[in-house]
Amino acid sequence: MSPFYSDDKRRELSAKLLIWLAARASRNQSMLDRLCLWLVDRAMRRDPDEDFMRDPIIDNDQGFDPEELDRYQRGEK
Amino acid sequence: MPAPVPFDPDAIASAKLIVRPAKDGVTIKRTICSTCDIACSVVTESKQGRVVKVRSSDNPIFRDNICMKGIIAPKAFAHPDRILHPLKRVGERGSGQWEQVSWEDAMSDIGQRLKKVITEHGPEAWAVSTSQWNTATDHGLGRRIMNHVGTPNWISGVALCAGNTAAINRLTYGWFPMGDFNNTNCIVLMGHNPRRHSWTPIYNYIRSAQERGAKLIVCDPRKSSSAERADIWLPLKAGSDGAMMFGWLKVIFDEGLYDKDFVANWTVGFEELRKRVDEFPLDRVAKLTGCDPDMIAKAARMYATSGPSIIPWTPITDMQRNSTSAIRLQSILRSVCGYVDVAGGETLQGFNPDIVPESTIEMHEVLSEEQKAKQLGSDTHPAFTYRGQAALREPLKRVWGHEYVNQVTGCYMANPSATFRAMAGEGSYPVKAFFALGNNTVMSYANMPLILKGMMNQDLIVAHEHHMTPTAQLADYVLPGDSWLERPWLTDAFGWMSAYRPSEQSMEPPGEAKSTWEFWKHIANALDRPELVPWETLNDFYDDRLKGTGMSFKELSETTEIYFDKPVFRKYLKTGFATPSGKVELKSSILEDLGFDPLPYFREDPPADPDYPLQMFTGVREDGYFQTAQRQVPEMRKRAPEPQIFVSPGTASEYHLGENEWVTIENQIGKISAQVAIKEAMPDGLVRVPHGWWKPEMQQGAGHLSGALKYSDAQLCRDDEDYLDREQGIPHLKGVPCRIIKSPSGNATKTEAKV
Ligand code: SF4
Repeated sequence: MSPFYSDDKRRELSAKLLIWLAARASRNQSMLDRLCLWLVDRAMRRDPDEDFMRDPIIDNDQGFDPEELDRYQRGEK
Repeated sequence: MPAPVPFDPDAIASAKLIVRPAKDGVTIKRTICSTCDIACSVVTESKQGRVVKVRSSDNPIFRDNICMKGIIAPKAFAHPDRILHPLKRVGERGSGQWEQVSWEDAMSDIGQRLKKVITEHGPEAWAVSTSQWNTATDHGLGRRIMNHVGTPNWISGVALCAGNTAAINRLTYGWFPMGDFNNTNCIVLMGHNPRRHSWTPIYNYIRSAQERGAKLIVCDPRKSSSAERADIWLPLKAGSDGAMMFGWLKVIFDEGLYDKDFVANWTVGFEELRKRVDEFPLDRVAKLTGCDPDMIAKAARMYATSGPSIIPWTPITDMQRNSTSAIRLQSILRSVCGYVDVAGGETLQGFNPDIVPESTIEMHEVLSEEQKAKQLGSDTHPAFTYRGQAALREPLKRVWGHEYVNQVTGCYMANPSATFRAMAGEGSYPVKAFFALGNNTVMSYANMPLILKGMMNQDLIVAHEHHMTPTAQLADYVLPGDSWLERPWLTDAFGWMSAYRPSEQSMEPPGEAKSTWEFWKHIANALDRPELVPWETLNDFYDDRLKGTGMSFKELSETTEIYFDKPVFRKYLKTGFATPSGKVELKSSILEDLGFDPLPYFREDPPADPDYPLQMFTGVREDGYFQTAQRQVPEMRKRAPEPQIFVSPGTASEYHLGENEWVTIENQIGKISAQVAIKEAMPDGLVRVPHGWWKPEMQQGAGHLSGALKYSDAQLCRDDEDYLDREQGIPHLKGVPCRIIKSPSGNATKTEAKV
C-alpha cells in the first residue's frame, strides 16, 4: 500500500472508484462501459455452491402464460 | 440504493458475465418493483402486451435484489378482485354497495364536494393519507396541490417508519444519512431483521459485507435470523433501544474511544451530553435493557474501534415511547465516533444537481405561514411538522441549496393521531374531506377505533386503490390505481439519496386504472387549478425534471440503470452541517427552542398493570406480505394463511397455550384473534403480533371490514400520552402490556369499535 495514503483516504478513493465503475456498468453503451460491467460482474459473482443469494423461488424461472393471466383476471378457471 | 460492489481478485479471475437473451416474442423492460418500499431494480418480460414474468436484473449491481413478492407480481396484479373501474358508493357509508361511474363524472363530483368542504370549513379541512410506493408514487404532486390549495394536513405511514427517522436525524446533522454498506467494517442492526424475502437488498448488502469480513452486531429481544449470524447478539428488552445507546456512549466516553478531533471541532453540547450519559452507568443500563454489562461494553467497543461502522435505519426504533431520543442517540453515536460523511460510514448525499427533486415539485414555500401553523399536532408533538423543521430552513438552503427538503416524504407531516381526532370532530377544527391513496388508513396507524370514528364523520372520502381494502370500503369513491408494471417511474429513494433510477412502463394498465400522477392532474382540473399540473403527460413531466442531465426520460431509461452523482466525502469542511449552529448538535437547539429537553433522555415503562402481564411487540412484516397488502394472493396466503402470534415455549407453558390454538390478545383499548405459534427464538413474556391482518374473502362493509375488526393489530395500538413519543407523537409499538385469553371455539371475540 502506498505510504502516502491514510486508511481513510484509501477507503474514500475506493468508494469513489466503485461508484464510478457501477455508474459505467449501468450504462452499457460504450466499450468502456462494457469493460466496467464485466469487471463488476466478475467481482460480484460467486461460486454457485457458496452463493448465499441463491433461492429456489428466485432461480426457478417462474413465468405465466398471457392467456392464463387474462383468464385469471376475468375470474375464469 | 447503490449496491455493494466488493472486489475480490479470486472472484474476478473465475467468473463469467451472463446476460439472459430475449426470447422470441418477449419484450424486456428494465423496471423498478414498488410492491414494497425497497424499490428493487428488476426486469419484466412481456408477451402479447402483458407482463408474464418478473426476474432479477442482468446488471450485477442489482442481480440478486428480488423477492417472492416481486416474482409473483404479474399474477398478483391480474387478481380477479382488482378494481378496474371507478366506483361510487350507493346507500349509507360502508354499505358495501357500489355503482360503476366514469372517471369524468367521479372527478367532477369529487371536485364539487371538495370545494364545498373548503368553502365551509377552510382548506385545512382536507386531509390526505398516502405514501410513495405501490399505487401511490405521485412525484410530489399531491403535496404541491395541497400546498397551493392551503392545507398542511398530509399524513403517511412514514410517520412511524423512516419518515420520522429522517426528520429526527436532521436535528443532529441536517440530513438523513445512508450507510455505506460497501465499505463499512461494522453494521449494527437495532431490532431490524432483513431477510431474503423482506428488505431483500439490505439483506444482500449485509451478507456481502459479512463475506468480506465486516462485523455484525444485532440488538433484538428475539434471536432473529440476523441475530444468529451476528458477531454479537444483545437480547435487549423490547423498547429499550435508547437505554442501550446510552450504555454504549458511556463505555465509549469513559474509555476515550470517540473521535476527539471531530468532537472538538464539529460538535456542540458535548459536555452537557457527557453529564447526561453519566446518568447511565452500565449496571443501570443492564437493568433497563436486561442485557449483560460485559456484552454491552464489548458491543460498544466493537462499534467504536472496528469502524467505520454504520447503524442502518430500522423501523423498530421509529416506533417507541423514546423514539426521538433513541434516534438522536444513534445519530450521536455516529457523530462522536467520526462516522458521518465518510466512506464506509454514514453518507450525507444531498441532491443530484442535474435533476429536479420532488421537494422542489412539492412547493412548500407557497403554503402560507398561517396555514402551516394550523398543521394538526404541531402544537403538541411538532418534531416532523412544519413547526418542528422550521429552524432548518436556512441551514438546509445554506448547505444543500434548498429551503424545503422533504426526505422519505416525512419531514413536513401532520401528526396522524391529531388528524384522526380532527376527523372525528374532537380537534381544534374539523377535517371533513379525506383522501387515501394506496394507503389502507384504518389499519395503518395507532388507535383504529378513533380512525373509524373519524372516517364515519367525513363528508367526502376518496380512495385510490387496487383492491377493496377496509379503508376503501368506507369511501364515497374508489378509483382504480395502476401498478408499477403499468407506468414509468423515476426514483431517488424518496429523497434519501442522490442516485436516480428510471423504470420503464411494461404494459398498459387494465380497465380504467390510472396513475396517481393522473389522479392529481384530474384533481387540479376539478379544483379549477389546471396550472398546478401544467405537464401534458407523465413523460413530459420527467423530461422537464431531467433537463439538467441533457437526456429525456426515454433516453435515460434506455441508456442508464442508475444515474449517480459523484460522491464527495466530508463536505462539512466546506459548508458546515445543515443545523442552526453549522455543527453536529449533540445538544439540540431546535428541540430546546420547541420546549423539549435538548439532550436525549429515557422514559421508563409506566407501572405494570397486573391485569395485563405480558408485553406485546407489534408492527412486524411477514415475507409474503407488505404491510396490509397481498392477503388476496393465493401463493402468498398459502404460506401464511392465518395471523399468528409468536410466544416462547416458557410463555406457552405458563398460559397453557398449544401450537395453532386460536386465542384473543387484548389490552385496554381493543382485542384481536390470532393463532399461537411457539418459537424457541422468542423471549419469555413477549408476544409478537403480526401487522396488518384482514381477510379479503370475508364480508365487506361497516361492522365487518373483511375481518379487519377481528384481526387488525391497529386495534391494540395505543396513542395515549404514556404510549406516545413526546416530540413526534408517534405510538409505542414495542413492549405494550397485553394479555392472552384462550378462545377454544376459534371465534374471535368481537371488537368494541363501533363503525
Ligand atoms: S423487496 Fe421484493 S417486493 Fe420489495 S421492491 Fe424488492 S422485489 Fe419488490
